[in-house]
Amino acid sequence: MKLATVLLLLASTADATTFYVTVAGLGGEPDYEQRFTGWAGEIEAVLKSSGGDAKIETLKGAGATRANVRAALERIAHEAKPDDALVVMLIGHGSFDGVDYKINLPGPDLSASELAALLDRVPARQLVVDMTSASGGAINTLRKENRVVITATKSGTERNATVFARFWVEALRDPAADTDKNDTISALEAFHYAQQKVAEYFESQKRLATEHPLLEDTGKGEGVRDPSAANREGLRAAAFPLVRLGAASAIANNPEKRKLLAKKDQLEQEIDLLKYNKPTIAPDEYKKKLTALLLDLAKTQQELDQ
Amino acid sequence: MTARVLCASVCVIATALLAQTPQKRASNELDRAEALWKAHDYEGANTVFRELVKAHPNNPDYKVRWGRLFLDHFQPNDAAQLFLEALAIKKDHPGGLLGLALVAADKFDGKAIELADQALVVDPKLTEAYVLLASLALEDADFTRAGEEADKALEVSPGDLDAMAIHASIDWLADKPDTPWIGRILAQNPHYGHAYELAGRFFVINRRYEEGIGYYRKAIAIQPDLWTAHSELGINLMRLGYDEEARSELELCWRNKYQDDPTKNTLMLLDSYKNFVTYRTDNTILKLDKKEAELLRPYIEPEMKRALATYEKKYGFKLERPVQLEVYPNHEDFAVRTLGMPGLGALGVTFGYVVAMDSPSGRRPGDFHWASTMWHELSHVYVLSATHHRVPRWFTEGMAVYEETAVSPDWGDRLDPHVIAAIKDKKLLPVAELDRGFVHPTYPTQVIVSYFQAGRICGFIAREWGYAKLLAMMHDFATDATTPQVIEKELSMRPEEFDKKFLAMIDAETKSIVNNFDDWKKGLKEVAELAGAGENEQVIKKSETLRDAYPDYVEAGNLYERRATAFLALGNKPDAIQELEHYARIGGRNPDTLKQLATLLVEAGRPADAAIALNRLNYIDPVDEDLHRRLGDLWFAQHNIEGAIREYQAVLAWKPVDPAASHFNLARAYRSANRLDDARDQLVLALETAPGYRAAQKMLLELSQAEQGK
Repeated sequence: MKLATVLLLLASTADATTFYVTVAGLGGEPDYEQRFTGWAGEIEAVLKSSGGDAKIETLKGAGATRANVRAALERIAHEAKPDDALVVMLIGHGSFDGVDYKINLPGPDLSASELAALLDRVPARQLVVDMTSASGGAINTLRKENRVVITATKSGTERNATVFARFWVEALRDPAADTDKNDTISALEAFHYAQQKVAEYFESQKRLATEHPLLEDTGKGEGVRDPSAANREGLRAAAFPLVRLGAASAIANNPEKRKLLAKKDQLEQEIDLLKYNKPTIAPDEYKKKLTALLLDLAKTQQELDQ
Repeated sequence: MTARVLCASVCVIATALLAQTPQKRASNELDRAEALWKAHDYEGANTVFRELVKAHPNNPDYKVRWGRLFLDHFQPNDAAQLFLEALAIKKDHPGGLLGLALVAADKFDGKAIELADQALVVDPKLTEAYVLLASLALEDADFTRAGEEADKALEVSPGDLDAMAIHASIDWLADKPDTPWIGRILAQNPHYGHAYELAGRFFVINRRYEEGIGYYRKAIAIQPDLWTAHSELGINLMRLGYDEEARSELELCWRNKYQDDPTKNTLMLLDSYKNFVTYRTDNTILKLDKKEAELLRPYIEPEMKRALATYEKKYGFKLERPVQLEVYPNHEDFAVRTLGMPGLGALGVTFGYVVAMDSPSGRRPGDFHWASTMWHELSHVYVLSATHHRVPRWFTEGMAVYEETAVSPDWGDRLDPHVIAAIKDKKLLPVAELDRGFVHPTYPTQVIVSYFQAGRICGFIAREWGYAKLLAMMHDFATDATTPQVIEKELSMRPEEFDKKFLAMIDAETKSIVNNFDDWKKGLKEVAELAGAGENEQVIKKSETLRDAYPDYVEAGNLYERRATAFLALGNKPDAIQELEHYARIGGRNPDTLKQLATLLVEAGRPADAAIALNRLNYIDPVDEDLHRRLGDLWFAQHNIEGAIREYQAVLAWKPVDPAASHFNLARAYRSANRLDDARDQLVLALETAPGYRAAQKMLLELSQAEQGK
């Protein structure tokens, strides 16, 4: 939690830009076509309404060709700086032949290796959310340091059409996805939200789950379903802001408030430590100490906000 | 023994065997197989039968006996295959026909009667077929025919113990404990426990469980190794909630190699009870799976108490003890409860004061209205209790269906396509024979049709003669009166005349859709095609009269949802709302659609109606975090604080995606209800998850300051 906050602050420098590229691939049938373009449209609407310094490109329908995807990413490669962020979201049907993954697009498809080569030329830190069927087959090709990769399926053999995109879209616009209440939905929060909703969907439909989302952000892992400190996955994703929900808090550069900020940091660390030691403390004592710390933190925050 | 002597002995035996004719050898092998079977050595018997059939592939008799071994060993499908093979060799083999009849009877399949009759045409001396027909008649509560069939068996074989047991059962069911038949049976075989076991089975089928248990006890008292009776005793003890004794009986079976599916599954079910938590009040015992207990209890327990209070008033008497309701999230566990019972039993089942039903989490959202099912089953508790379990199935089911609709019109049975088909094909049964539709259906949807018919009959009586007549009929059934007697007494007409009046009413009500059902189906398909093509104006135009021709249809592809989608595509929200409200009133249960209606109502500035739409879903699919969150917010804004508290608690009971906000919402509601300590606890929980949560911080400070200011 603490690490995430620090990285988030670093990521929020004044002139940083986030580039969003959303691609809705070929549906094949009217129902899927409608669904894919609909989700892409909803993502675009959410991103536009969230404001900030964002550059949004949405490729859907006949415009979602390999050439257009290449052109968009090449433009960003020229424009982006290391402080910037790039978010690529892929919706549609995918395939995996045991070696390479491809997303189905009108005309020639786009393979994971082509996509990886295009992304490698973009200097910004990156988040790739591949929401297609068989997307798990793309992880090994797409993973890289400074890149978060999320896939809808755990392997290239989960080939059924996915529902992950539906819940990813929901995560972007549902304040409930912002579990730490910092007015920003991080990549990790959106992943957790969509993952839980996918699981609930299959359970409620009484169907065996045909997709199991994965996250990889170390650049060398296989992707995990439960990113945590234990498997060292999820730290970068936690610090990757995806959508800002409200007016994100300004960083107080006021020297008068530095003392308060230091106190706030200290209190947050004490709370983290107390939570860590919870199993070893009697419940009443834990509650008492936690309440005291939380009250202190609330007062400090109140002073900071004044 | 020296080698020479041994050789001589073996040679003598071999010579003797060789001297036998093939027929004699086969007969000996058959005897050996039967002896092994009788000694419960099923594997040994199976091996001998297999060799026998291999050596004589064209002998249908051996196949039939082998089939009967399989039937006895809980493998009815394998048995049926062998009976069919026997009939392929000899198309009217009576043993093959009887075997198939027994397999059908085991599944309460109406074909059993036809097959047994066919067997008797070929072999009029087949006593077992008469006994089977007598049993089937008793399952239908047709005592007269049961007695006649048993008499036919006794004419052929005067000492037939099972035929005598049928007579004994008839007497016992008619409350004649001093039947002479049991004396005759025991004089012939003092250890013939099957006579009591048979009676136990009929009592259970007639839902007289306590008495059934008594007969199973008698069966094992005179024949302690009658494992079938031990197993049935265990299963029925479990049904009534006597779990410890049930386990003891079933484990006894298990240790003695009686390990059929019902025994095994019931033991597994008893094991699973460790995952359940029990809540008790003065008149309810509620058993819920631990994983969903916290979520469901606030909905189920008050609704259960509301139903009991309503029925106590309506039926005019108080139950003797608390009713136990068991709710199973795993449908397979629930299915064990209904194993070996006739009827649909698909949603809920009542055993005296114990009711078992599926949990809403055990079914696809929208498929199941748990509250309607619960009210249905609780009605059975009263009707069975008032009649001392002596009520025909049609009446108690009819009352239960009628009561569902009485709670709320959208809860009850609607006219569905199966019923329309049955009405069209004149398949509704006379009231005096309606039980047959539940117990021995002759077509796949007959049980569903019979539920509908029974419910409509009760509704018809309530409307034409008044609800008090239904209660009078219920009390008449307690005196062992038959359906014709009760109809004549209370409605002053013969059953045939009642059937005529009832069918005339059904005909008038359904004539239009029954006559035009094929056109309606065609129209429905055309509208679906128009919707697929995005022809929204055409969808609206074409579907209006079609929708009104069959307004009860709210299932897949229904016209309410189609029209609402078309209206929305055209930007006409008011008409979309109107369409979806109509859908909800009729009984539409698609959770996504009802949530969409709530969204539209909020947008239209009708939050109170939106809350009503969402609350409707609490009775259909309460396992939905989004529902509780939205309804909680709506009620909180409408100052229904208790309602909001319940909804926010439900959110927290089901691992919410946003625990911090969920605790905070509950804190807000507690604060409004002036439950400040609870509010503070929830704020601490919210901030434990998200220490920087500003809104929660603010409220915690406010509460703290208010406390200090006291």
